[in-house]
Amino acid sequence: MKKLIGIVSLLILLVSCSSNDTDGIYYDNPEVSLEIPAGFPELNSFVSLNKLTKYGVELGEKLFSDKRFSADNTISCSSCHIQANAFADHNPQGIGIEGRVGLRNTPAIQNLIFMKFFNWDGSKLQLENQPLVPIITHEEMDSSILEVIGKIKDDAVYKDLFQKAFGDETITPERIFKSIAQFEYTLISVNSKYDKVKRNESAFTTAEAQGYATFQQKCASCHSTELFTDQSFRNIGFPINTDTNEAGRARVTGIPADYMSFRVPSLRNVEYTAPYGSFGQFPDLKSVLDYFDNGVLDADNLDPVFKNNAGKIPLSEEEKTNLIAFMKTLSDQKFIGK
Amino acid sequence: MQNFKKYLLLSFAALAFVSCSNNDDPVANNVTLEFNNTFKNNTIVLGDAASTSATTNTSAGGQIHHFSELKYVISNIRLIKEDGSEVTYNVNDLDKGATVIDQSKAASLSYILSNIPSATYKQIKFGLGIKPEINTLDQVRFPNFYAAAGANDTKMHWEWGTGYRFTKIEGFYDVDNKALSIHTGSTVEGTAPNYTQGVNAYRDITLNLTTNAIVGGSAPKIKIKADFDKLLSGKTNTITLGAGNATPSIHTAANMVLYVDNLGGNGSSDISGMFSITSVEN
Repeated sequence: MKKLIGIVSLLILLVSCSSNDTDGIYYDNPEVSLEIPAGFPELNSFVSLNKLTKYGVELGEKLFSDKRFSADNTISCSSCHIQANAFADHNPQGIGIEGRVGLRNTPAIQNLIFMKFFNWDGSKLQLENQPLVPIITHEEMDSSILEVIGKIKDDAVYKDLFQKAFGDETITPERIFKSIAQFEYTLISVNSKYDKVKRNESAFTTAEAQGYATFQQKCASCHSTELFTDQSFRNIGFPINTDTNEAGRARVTGIPADYMSFRVPSLRNVEYTAPYGSFGQFPDLKSVLDYFDNGVLDADNLDPVFKNNAGKIPLSEEEKTNLIAFMKTLSDQKFIGK
Repeated sequence: MQNFKKYLLLSFAALAFVSCSNNDDPVANNVTLEFNNTFKNNTIVLGDAASTSATTNTSAGGQIHHFSELKYVISNIRLIKEDGSEVTYNVNDLDKGATVIDQSKAASLSYILSNIPSATYKQIKFGLGIKPEINTLDQVRFPNFYAAAGANDTKMHWEWGTGYRFTKIEGFYDVDNKALSIHTGSTVEGTAPNYTQGVNAYRDITLNLTTNAIVGGSAPKIKIKADFDKLLSGKTNTITLGAGNATPSIHTAANMVLYVDNLGGNGSSDISGMFSITSVEN
């Protein structure tokens, strides 16, 4: 009889539990719908495999800034991917635990939902496969995914968030990677002055307009589309990173024609992401433009844009000034949290 | 008399053993793969730049070289019976079926395959490296191999490619001992055979046994030579370090395939690469 009472009260408890759930926290994890502005390229095809949800994104954001991802608990994703810098930073090359210097410049994390390739060399095609790389890389976090899980598994806040995001408290590598990617997919920058001009909500100054004209004539063949990158890989004769781990895109493809080719970077928020180049060769935008104007390094696979033009993009000082004015219209203050 | 008794006892014991093995051959036994890493016929001794004891080799291009570090991954091991049928050895389980051969660790040079079904085997196949479908640095699925390969003195994680290094060779070349550093691994994305990008550096090796390996009453030892003379002077490519068709430091897929094909064969005209069978001890 006692047993029966026990079971019955347990049942009641369960029923009341689940009725609570329906009007509240546990099963109500709505899909997040993102506003995709017109004119942008189509989404990365893997995005559809990882539905963005309210708590998935929230969990991803928390994981993104958790320093326990690094071996000595000093570095999180957001240590290098700083919002005020369009989720890049100001170091020439990424700096990991114990001040270890990485191979390349920290890329901005913005509009990744539209990108077909990730990293300077495009080594990853699916964003969910990316977070493991910094976690295990010696010069970055130098940890392992099970070490990370071991550190966070008893954290009540995470238990709650994993429950809400995925239906139970279990922390798995796949769930971590999916939720970080979900958060990153939400980082869409489309509210710059340029966007407002396009939407007839603002107008370029004379300098910006002239810069835009020069840009369309001399830059837009690579920095094309609303992303300001055509997502191609090109060797444009920048000063070479002599680290023997560096081969540019060729380290992925093994194709000599890809040697020291890098992904054309987006120019959105470029004002906030100095220094520039795959290992931060250039301290500011002016020095990049001067370099193009003075002539780049020759190479067998130098991009035709330079190969066919004596290795240069000739620019007058006025054009450079105006180009920089135009590039600053790609700054999205809302995106960087100002 | 005492001695005679002893001998009698011994011979009974011997008889007992013989009759045992006649009647009750075990259904399975171990097979040991013993790797001998060489330059031509000389077993490699590792050494730093100034070493006088390290084994040196001269390439077809005339470049003298020696190694300070030499490691490679073996996986996907299969034994082929006399009738052509195949016995697979934990081919989808890196914890149980893959190992890092490390010239600096004598114990790693012998890899014991346990519980191989009793039969007569004529051929062995294995992979140099790891096939793409399980080359994912999956710490949850294969924690032991992940840990062994990632240990500080081993460093066979290829972090940026989220896979394993297949070979890791450090050493010195030319009379002035310039550093050489040759790492190989896969960079493929997508699934076979329609990889969306990258290089598959996994190579399947096929070796005919010089004598059949008879598993049962005996636990055979298969002696495999890995001749690193082939690194620069292979069946597929002749490589000169420092200029021309390769650079001396390869951690990337640029030019890596030249080395991969030399060490593991090109998969078509060469399916043995640097490997050969020295002998089989039954």
